[in-house]
Amino acid sequence: MDRSVHLNNAIMRFGEFTAVEKMDLKIESGEFFSFLGPSGCGKTTILNMISGFLEPSEGGVYIGDQPMAGVPANKRPTSMIFQNLALFPLMTVAENIEFGLEVRGVSKVERKKISDRLLELVALEGSGDKKVSELSGGQKQRIAIARALAVEPQVLLLDEPLSALDLKLRQHMRTELKEIQRKTGITFIYITHDQGEALTMSDRVAVMSAGKLQQVADPITLYREPETAFVASFVGENNAIPCNVLESSEGYAVVDAGNLGSLAGRIKRSIMPSVSATLFVRPEGLRLGCEGEFTLSATLAEVNFEGSYLTLTASLVNQQVVAIQLRANQYNEAMIAGSALTLSFDRQDAIVIAGEANDV
Amino acid sequence: MFNQLKQRFGSPLSVSIVALIAVWLIGLVILPQLIMVNYSLKPNLLPAEIGGIKDQYTLSNYATLFSNTIHLSIFFKTIWSSVLVTFLTLIVSYPLAFYLAKVATPRQAALCLLLLIIPFWINEILRTFSWYIILAYKGPLNALLLELGLINRPVRFLSGDGGVLIGMVYAYILFMIFPIYNAIESLDSNQVKAARNLGASWLRTHYRVVIPHSKPGIATGCIMTFMLAAGSYAVPALLGSPGSRWFTQIIYNWFFEGGDWNQGAAYAFLLLIICIGFIALVMKVFKVGLGDIAR
Repeated sequence: MDRSVHLNNAIMRFGEFTAVEKMDLKIESGEFFSFLGPSGCGKTTILNMISGFLEPSEGGVYIGDQPMAGVPANKRPTSMIFQNLALFPLMTVAENIEFGLEVRGVSKVERKKISDRLLELVALEGSGDKKVSELSGGQKQRIAIARALAVEPQVLLLDEPLSALDLKLRQHMRTELKEIQRKTGITFIYITHDQGEALTMSDRVAVMSAGKLQQVADPITLYREPETAFVASFVGENNAIPCNVLESSEGYAVVDAGNLGSLAGRIKRSIMPSVSATLFVRPEGLRLGCEGEFTLSATLAEVNFEGSYLTLTASLVNQQVVAIQLRANQYNEAMIAGSALTLSFDRQDAIVIAGEANDV
Repeated sequence: MFNQLKQRFGSPLSVSIVALIAVWLIGLVILPQLIMVNYSLKPNLLPAEIGGIKDQYTLSNYATLFSNTIHLSIFFKTIWSSVLVTFLTLIVSYPLAFYLAKVATPRQAALCLLLLIIPFWINEILRTFSWYIILAYKGPLNALLLELGLINRPVRFLSGDGGVLIGMVYAYILFMIFPIYNAIESLDSNQVKAARNLGASWLRTHYRVVIPHSKPGIATGCIMTFMLAAGSYAVPALLGSPGSRWFTQIIYNWFFEGGDWNQGAAYAFLLLIICIGFIALVMKVFKVGLGDIAR
């Protein structure tokens, strides 16, 4: 079955404000696809367009090659899990799960069979007669999943459904969601501002900012090869060093970083000399000592022990603050605030992107 | 409770607050009602006979209603018509309340509420008279319908119950809209979206999600409308025809035309008791508790 979703040059405007700029994007059938971006970047608007709560101002939405223009929300093969779950508090758990089937005129016996099977899938057998208010946060979460799956959607839309859960439960639900997606083969479209969620679960991630797609790629590519300054600074931690391009050739650019001297990093496409750019080095790309190709002297400001790793915060000679990530066993007594450090990195661990890094 | 009051306001002020409440409650609510109960249980006597052998408690005033078939039929007609008014008001108010609470932008909602409230700044009698004019045989409504070609001769809106029903729906619409509006507004909009998303038609979304949630508001609105309708005097007096007399008019007649306050008081209490009983029954049928309404 074709469960792909195609946003065909879709645009969404609210009066003067453009919530989603022209977007052409094909989400493959059976894919776990995430939209990642800060709040207000238009990702929920995209879900609303796919689910039919909003009609795009221009362009269209296709689900499995079927145009969705004019198809009301209740006739679309999509199912949504809301941020606040939106379970029906006046119905029992089973009635919640069976609601979509009841609406479709499925017989009571058949409905019961399906809801029992789904309760088993989400490991809540025998909770059918409970009230929604009797469930814990994680259980409600699973009922919301079961309710959405009951109608056998082609596409499951998830609007930050894990944001209300505590850390442990959230990590557990990530695995479960992924598992359910694998079992059912349904296309999952997941919306989040939490990059950890997007990176761990997704086949592909679309990073969005201010209604625009920044980059669509698999998590590893997104992390290693960010194409825009926004992606570089939004996805994962990154040290952004403002600079000017001196020359660029063969996949590398040499830049002038003021009193940090001239540095170099990888580039995707060549950048004209003297264009202002940003050199990004990940905290794990910076090393202690001077073995790397480029050396930076710094003053240690703070040491944070985070279990398996250490994060050092240091300021460079131009007062810029950078983060360095080390393995926990690299810790030594001499690491105290105020001590001098020598940092270094190699050019393949740095990336140069034209434009200035915006604060995220 | 009095000690709490004393701690907050001191003795003199607390005593005056309690005294004022007592005067209000006893003097303005309980005593007049007791006097009316007393009236209703005594026969209508000449001044000379008061205190005499005929001045004894009796239920005969209450019995009168059940022996007078005309009054009895008007009584039940009043109850039935009030049910009809309540139902019609609900039909008109629910979509409007839903629109105000969930569909309209804040500006639209504010404008709409203002338009709803402004007419209520005008005296009820005047409002009712304006309906009298609108619905008249040669009034603007008939003229409009004739002009549009929807009817080919004027309709006598005011000769049956039509005028009374229209006038009452209009008079009590706010009492219905506000409780329902409050109830629907407290509904999480995602609930409606979730129902739609799971395939529910608009009708079913309302039937399964919005109405169950707003049931207390609907109950409150219906009770208020029903009580006001059953106890209404101005609307049926102005817009009613001889065939659509309201029970309140009979009570009025006993008091001010028959001069029989005892009989009038008995009729008034019968209306009150039946109305309360009726509401209790309806609440039981629709499984609404008093607590739901106070919410």
